[in-house]
Amino acid sequence: MSNEAKAFIAPRASHVARHAADKSPSRVTRHALPYFPGCALKDQARGFERAAQAAMERLGYELAELPRWNCCGTVYSLSSDDLMRHVAPVRNFIRVQELGERRLVTLCAMCYNTLRRSARFVSTDPERLQRINAFMDEEPDYAGGVEVLHLLQLLRDEIGYEEIEARVERPLYGLKVAPYYGCMLLRPREVGIDDPDRPETMELLFEYLGAEAVDSPHKVECCGAYQTVANPEIARERVLEIVGAAARRGADLIVTSCPLCTYNLEHHQLSVPGDASHVTGDKSSTRHALPVTRHVIPILYFTQLLAFALGAPGEELGFEQAAVDPRPVLAQRVGG
Amino acid sequence: MAGELKLVGGYPEYMRESIEKVHATRARRMEEGPPPAMSMEEREEVLKFHPDYAPGGKRPLKVGPNKGDIAPNEVAELLEAYPIVDPGELDLSVDIDVDILILGGGLAGTMAAIWANEEGIPPDRILLATKLRHGDSNSIMAQGGTQAADKPYDSPVIHFLDAYGGGHFTNKPDVLRALVEDAPFIMKWLTELGCLFDRDENGEFVEDWGGGTSRPRMHAARDYTGMEELRVIRDEFRNRGFMLLEFYPAVELLTSPEGRVNGAVLWNMETGEYKVVRAKAVVLATGGFGRLHIRGFPTTNHYGATADGLVLAYRAGAVLRDLDTVQYHPTGAAYPQQIVGLLITEKVRGLGAQVVNREGEAFVYPLEPRDVEAAAIIRECYEREKGVVTPTGMRGVWLDSPMIEEIHGKGTIERRLPAMFRMYKRFGIDMRADPILIFPTLHYQNGGVETDPWGKTNVEGLFVAGEVTGGVHGKNRLMGNSTLDCLVFGRRAGIAAAEYVRKLPEPGAVTLGHLERFVAELRAAGVPEGRRSPILLPDYRGKRVLARMVDLL
Amino acid sequence: MGQEIMERIREANEAVITGIDDADIKHWVTIYIMGKAYRVPADITLMQAIEYAGYRFVRGAGCRAGFCGACATVYRVAGDWRLKAALACQTRVEDGMFLVQIPFAPAEKPTYDIETEPAEGSVLLKYFPELARCVACNTCTKACPQELEVMDYIQAALRGDLEAVTELSFDCIQCGLCSIRCPAEIVHYHAAQLARRLYGKSLPVPKHVEERVREVEEGKYGEEFERLMSLSREEIEELYKKEQREKGGLGSRDASRVTRNGQGEG
Repeated sequence: MSNEAKAFIAPRASHVARHAADKSPSRVTRHALPYFPGCALKDQARGFERAAQAAMERLGYELAELPRWNCCGTVYSLSSDDLMRHVAPVRNFIRVQELGERRLVTLCAMCYNTLRRSARFVSTDPERLQRINAFMDEEPDYAGGVEVLHLLQLLRDEIGYEEIEARVERPLYGLKVAPYYGCMLLRPREVGIDDPDRPETMELLFEYLGAEAVDSPHKVECCGAYQTVANPEIARERVLEIVGAAARRGADLIVTSCPLCTYNLEHHQLSVPGDASHVTGDKSSTRHALPVTRHVIPILYFTQLLAFALGAPGEELGFEQAAVDPRPVLAQRVGG
Repeated sequence: MAGELKLVGGYPEYMRESIEKVHATRARRMEEGPPPAMSMEEREEVLKFHPDYAPGGKRPLKVGPNKGDIAPNEVAELLEAYPIVDPGELDLSVDIDVDILILGGGLAGTMAAIWANEEGIPPDRILLATKLRHGDSNSIMAQGGTQAADKPYDSPVIHFLDAYGGGHFTNKPDVLRALVEDAPFIMKWLTELGCLFDRDENGEFVEDWGGGTSRPRMHAARDYTGMEELRVIRDEFRNRGFMLLEFYPAVELLTSPEGRVNGAVLWNMETGEYKVVRAKAVVLATGGFGRLHIRGFPTTNHYGATADGLVLAYRAGAVLRDLDTVQYHPTGAAYPQQIVGLLITEKVRGLGAQVVNREGEAFVYPLEPRDVEAAAIIRECYEREKGVVTPTGMRGVWLDSPMIEEIHGKGTIERRLPAMFRMYKRFGIDMRADPILIFPTLHYQNGGVETDPWGKTNVEGLFVAGEVTGGVHGKNRLMGNSTLDCLVFGRRAGIAAAEYVRKLPEPGAVTLGHLERFVAELRAAGVPEGRRSPILLPDYRGKRVLARMVDLL
Repeated sequence: MGQEIMERIREANEAVITGIDDADIKHWVTIYIMGKAYRVPADITLMQAIEYAGYRFVRGAGCRAGFCGACATVYRVAGDWRLKAALACQTRVEDGMFLVQIPFAPAEKPTYDIETEPAEGSVLLKYFPELARCVACNTCTKACPQELEVMDYIQAALRGDLEAVTELSFDCIQCGLCSIRCPAEIVHYHAAQLARRLYGKSLPVPKHVEERVREVEEGKYGEEFERLMSLSREEIEELYKKEQREKGGLGSRDASRVTRNGQGEG
């Protein structure tokens, strides 16, 4: 890359974030960040990635897709007694290492969780790492040390919310946003990006964008995750609670940070028939066999709302793939 | 363990002197261009060195519908031979009853099944039986491309003319017309099935020159053209749920008392059990005869190319034609010994590589029709003595492959000839940097069972397609017309067989009556009793082992 | 003279066409075919060596040229713990090789109607849900005798990138070694076949092809063909020579100057 190009993508010195100075000594020479998309963002959820690219470009960054990346490894839950399950994530770290880089950014909470946990797992025990390296004899050894970041961390700790605020072109004044974290960003505690019980990363971000954050008691609870395949009722019940709580508190939108949460929230809220204002919950469930009300709220990915506030044009926001169109409420509150 | 020979870049050290001459003359040769194409008179002169024209390789047939016609000795031996099964010992009660039996699992047989189905015959009434695996065929090895005149600068009429002249004006015109007129449709149909032909940056088909073509119309899929075509239609075949028997060659056809072909005896090569299949129609798509090693030539052909279908059809009364000529591909590998005879696609010359002798001299226009090109190479090696002798005593001339990247840029060979690049790399040779040594190799059976434009033969109930047929290519086939032949006439034979089946109420009783008549003819002609066919497979076992082999089980 | 040349050619090719004669061999190696030791000529292929040893293939041999995948073979060489994979027809014998052929790969192929399936990546997971079991161990890649990046294309399939699967899997000969070795029990080559067909059908048929098909259907060339077929042999030869000479004004006689898309420069 030419120096000119570097200068172009590196943020100007005055934009150094509040938490960043001590953490990132190489700010002036900072360049494109290795970025791990994960499969959801390449298939079902392409719009989330497009929005992220649009937002980051406006913040002076480039998310550079990791060459030859493979699955983060989440298809099997990571376990400490089966090193095989760390082969996939470690192979991705080797790709980062081959670029001469130290950090890997991802937008997907699931990928973040898997990659971050695996990075920790192999770096805390040299013997494990040695065995994984010996197995992957066709690759250069992984030396350890790759840091996995969720994009929210990068926004909060490196770029800084004040810097983001300065770049807002469409302030979200009047918009009520309910952040929804799910589990993967916060648990287990060692890899969580915030306090697992009282996170405020997204709340603050949206406030800096001009919106009002709506707190909701279910924002750190599970969405039902993969139960949505085998036992959809479980996921449905979770979602109706989560969406209902946010809606009752007046949220215009729910904002997520995980493609699977997004899918569940979007689709299960629509499973309540539209003509019934009082529908009985699942009788087979031991919990909450209470009447449920149909609430239909747009579910957005955090990158979409960010890109919108930063002034990205409509085609970069991926709103068209949303099951519930957010554009009417955005137009009404913010003026589109 | 390369023996005493020291190898440098995959070649014995002694060949390096000649290779250096090829390197040294390249710039000048590129500047001057290749030698001019031969005149008709020059072509005639050089063809004396072609195995077809050199005396001693052929004889007239003593029996059968083509009695008196000339055929290569190796083919005559099989046509004038007794059955491998004893007709008196077979129990002809029917094991499988179908509408259409297809023999052969290459492009032609697979197309026939799909198109008979398109015409309304259900998949469970169509059985495809093949000697090896479904797909083991010469089709899958076709590298260079498939001809189709689909560009504005081209037309089916010009395609016709090229193939007609290439075939020395001996092709059956109505059959050839069907070939060239169906070609664009075949390209369209394959593309819609998901077959991937090379395209340029604008999504247009890349179409190359081939030997003897007056327009570039060769559609390739890298140098895996036949494989790509075959694996796509085989996938389609599998999706439709046809009946399939692998490792079940036909060892005889069956006929009704009226003489219609109505089935075949199949033989399980692994258990030895036979199956009697009755069918209203039989499509013969069994391919060619390269593994007969006509005149002692190595071959590009697959393991099963042993003329079985020719033998079976002949006994059932089918008329053959154009068996007197054999196609030798000008460029087979001559070194290293492990790959002797394997095909070096014409595309290499199409991309600009010149044919060069030991001294680094280009001695022939690289895109002559195949027989002319082959004869010129044999003359250079054996009469003009300007070939390179290999450690095993073969001779060859250079194909200057590094020219390809000089002309088209670095990376062209890996991109457009990945199969060949990979093959040479496995044996330590980098064809981007050094030329490759070539000599003509037995490639294609020009003639075969005479067909009409719909794959019909003179025998009722017997349809044919692909290399086993005769007529479409006359006495010499052009590059890119064999895969096309299989695709066009496999389809047509499938359609015609389906039509025939719909009109035929009953297949009738299965008999081997035709065999009894044929055997009587063999005896009357004094053919020695021990000679048997079809041979099903060639035999390459070591001579020492064969000398001490006893059959005890 | 021609006949004598033919005899010399036959003699030079004898080992290739009728089997190897011990008298011609100077150098030998020992290989183990399914555990049995055989002394075979050095410098021949595994396939030639198996035949030299006295086996006659029914399974395990197909095109004999690296295109069909019939001769998939796994082997170890004495002193090396690695299990290697190769095509018997494309691999030279090495001293101390222990080998066995894998003549058949049990692998179920789901059936589908290519016409109705959309050209989308999600179709792959619909028919091959086991793709999601990939742990990126890369064993498939190590087993591929074509040296393809098999694991990379499985990963591309997992995220629905049909074009990448096509590009990476194009040279697959469907020998099945990847699937035999895969700890996740994926059938790589069938999944790749579906991906390539989906990608292929997403590409439009070029307009000039459609146009030509229509012309033929409308009988545009009927008259020209009839005229051609009414010509005498001499007339048609003349016409042929003319076309060959002029090459439609596209190319010259200089094949070396023909560019990639066939437009002559000369």
